[in-house]
Amino acid sequence: MHPKGDIEGGPAVSQIETFYDVMRRQGITRRSFMKYCSLTAAALGLSPAMVPRIAHAMETKPRTPVIWVHGLECTCCSESFIRSAHPLAKDVVLSMISLDYDDTLMAAAGHAAEAAFEETIAKYRGNYILAVEGNPPLNEDGMFCITGGKPFVEKLRHAAKDAKAIISWGACASYGCVQAAKPNPTQATPVHKVITDKPIIKVPGCPPIAEVMTGVITYMLTFDRLPELDRQGRPAMFYGQRIHDKCYRRPHFDAGQFVEAWDDENARKGYCLYKMGCKGPTTYNACSTVRWNEGVSFPIQSGHGCIGCSEDGFWDQGSFYNRVTDLTQFGVEANADKVGMAAAGVVGGAVAVHAAVSALKAAQKKTQTQTSKEEA
Amino acid sequence: MSDTQLLVGPFNRVEGDLEIRLDVAEGRVRAAYVNSPLFRGFERMLLGKGAMDALTITPRICGICSISQSAAAARALAQAGGIVPAPEGEKVAALLHMVENQADHMTHFNLFFMPDFARGTYAGRRWHGRAVARFTAMQGSALHGALEARARLLHIVGMLGGKWPHTLAIQPGGVTRAPSLRDKLRMQASLRAFRAYLEDEMFGAPLEAFVALESVAALEAWGTGDVALFLEIAADLDLALMGRGAGRYLSYGAYPTAAGPVFARGIWAEGALGVFDPALIAEDLSHAWMLGEAAHPDKGQTVPDEAMRDPGYSWCKAPRLGGLGYETGALARQVVDGHPLARALASEGSVRARIVGRLLEIARTQLVMEAMLAGIDPAARFMADWTAPRDGVGEGLVEAARGALGHWCRIEKGRIASWQIIAPTTWNFSPRDAGGVPGPLEAALVGAEVQPGEDTPIAVQHIVRSFDPCMVCTVH
Repeated sequence: MHPKGDIEGGPAVSQIETFYDVMRRQGITRRSFMKYCSLTAAALGLSPAMVPRIAHAMETKPRTPVIWVHGLECTCCSESFIRSAHPLAKDVVLSMISLDYDDTLMAAAGHAAEAAFEETIAKYRGNYILAVEGNPPLNEDGMFCITGGKPFVEKLRHAAKDAKAIISWGACASYGCVQAAKPNPTQATPVHKVITDKPIIKVPGCPPIAEVMTGVITYMLTFDRLPELDRQGRPAMFYGQRIHDKCYRRPHFDAGQFVEAWDDENARKGYCLYKMGCKGPTTYNACSTVRWNEGVSFPIQSGHGCIGCSEDGFWDQGSFYNRVTDLTQFGVEANADKVGMAAAGVVGGAVAVHAAVSALKAAQKKTQTQTSKEEA
Repeated sequence: MSDTQLLVGPFNRVEGDLEIRLDVAEGRVRAAYVNSPLFRGFERMLLGKGAMDALTITPRICGICSISQSAAAARALAQAGGIVPAPEGEKVAALLHMVENQADHMTHFNLFFMPDFARGTYAGRRWHGRAVARFTAMQGSALHGALEARARLLHIVGMLGGKWPHTLAIQPGGVTRAPSLRDKLRMQASLRAFRAYLEDEMFGAPLEAFVALESVAALEAWGTGDVALFLEIAADLDLALMGRGAGRYLSYGAYPTAAGPVFARGIWAEGALGVFDPALIAEDLSHAWMLGEAAHPDKGQTVPDEAMRDPGYSWCKAPRLGGLGYETGALARQVVDGHPLARALASEGSVRARIVGRLLEIARTQLVMEAMLAGIDPAARFMADWTAPRDGVGEGLVEAARGALGHWCRIEKGRIASWQIIAPTTWNFSPRDAGGVPGPLEAALVGAEVQPGEDTPIAVQHIVRSFDPCMVCTVH
């Protein structure tokens, strides 16, 4: 028996409801709405001319439901998300996606929650976005992560089957993250190795930056497609450059001025942290431009090197405090694709690996071509 | 109602996954078995890694208590390497840690605990309309203010730690960031904004007035802010009688400084204060899916029983102190620290007492943060000279929002030879021990009301959430 009142905060009322309707219902004013559209355009690096298009899309398109599920993880992605920079952006995105099912934040519990989950899948079949935080452990038939009496991997497969696209939030879903560290006791496995027949966008980082999360989700909801992705399946707009390329301490790197010990004279002067093990030179992310906690700072600004948490395998690369020794001098302009290409060129055989990244790549390519056509 | 069994879970608005088996007789819970169904094996993956890697890996046990994990790891490493942190660095570390704990308490009250009272089950209660308007999950008017206040408070962590969650700034010798005078002023502004929020919305009155409460009667007369709404609900639903614990509390002592911890270390049992001896801790494995014997975390191992054999029913080990289970958390800290209101609530040990313990701690901690920040000297050293430990054993005991968190490590030739962690919810949600004695939550659930037709009893949910469990930390 499920008392009806227990499903508050569940699926929205009408099928033809638009994003704008939902926002207005949540008490967001027209003025705030327009402001949000401009902010979004700016965050996504789109021209101001796109603002009316975003607004129009949100006024006319039916709201895209989002199902948010949690596997083996630490919830840092949700924590990051609910503190996204502009309170407005967070409110709007939260109300927009309504998180039709989110097992950390929603009102319903137990069987009522499972019912809401099934109802959302059935109601929006083929039409919802599945956001995955954490990953499934495959060892021992998935018994290390059981939700609702079933291994998480089953829930994931079930929810993915009818999803339009999948977002892999954070390093866990994208790459495995620390729980996949050797010896990977539970065989924690990234989402794209379990789900191979759906377009997947990876938003790595531990956690990803809140603005990057809201930016990606807004783009997908507004334009109804994946943003442009790099070769690793990350949105190019946020993962196109290395931390090092836009780091405010870069001039000190170029001048050979380095911190030699924690809190030494050079540290107080804000010299480069390369010798303290900073992984900024090999890490693609937006930390040095977007920054953290409402643009306040980022790890390098707090005097600690980057640990490369948006890169695959960052947890098993030897000490986080060893300096990067395989730093090859790609130019500042190089992006992950170019570096990927160059590396592949050297290794030779690696090209085949890149080419064979399954059906999901094909789906993404299609989306990308479409993207460039429509934006041209 | 005849004897029945209920399997309750998954729980929402609980960090991580949780499942509880309930034996129900005559409309009441007769016995409860708490299962933490998520196991990742952090203690195993740390083995053989460089000692310092623990600073990056252990915070990722939990995205909510990551600074607590990082503070515990840093202290364990400091002890293993004979490192004494720079006093100013210790203050910054304490400040970072307090901000995280405050943010967690805020989240618990506004996002996890109070939304239950907006449920349809309570329609018709005189306060229900107000609870709905203020706390409906993801929509209530309190949520917006709380999330905004929390995000602004976390600016302090952003400034001192570079990012949150998963801050890297806390090291065995201090912190990586020496705040400038300008940073100090900005942080003072953030603290002022947080106080304004607390006084305008949550408490509806000066924090000092709440901190000055000394008795349950004075508490019950509190009439302002969201706190008053909670107290009204608590009185109407008898939350003072719901989910009562054994009255045994444990605190490792919160926020170590050169002058000792801000909130005292100790235990409270049989209505009296006692000395806490870490050597008396042992983790019992009799009802966990873990292989091995009961052991002090110095000698502890984490070997999952992949056959998941009976009588095991959880991945969670059962920590005991001198053979007894202890409740840990904000209420425990405030009782041990000796605040009169907390002491007055110690024997009540109910859902209400746990929430009030947290509210009291929010108010007190804000005052401590203001004083501590004012006392920071930007010209001082924030990091002592130190080198990573080569060989040694260390114990890092801190207080996370949810209670006592301990790391025990052994370093050999610069590598991790052993790393054991006991998290607050491991204490609170532990399974039975070899003597069949249930863990604190299991005991607190006995007697909870189960109404006809309820498959996820609302009373059980209130009791579970009153502990503010963090399941990802529990088993890690």
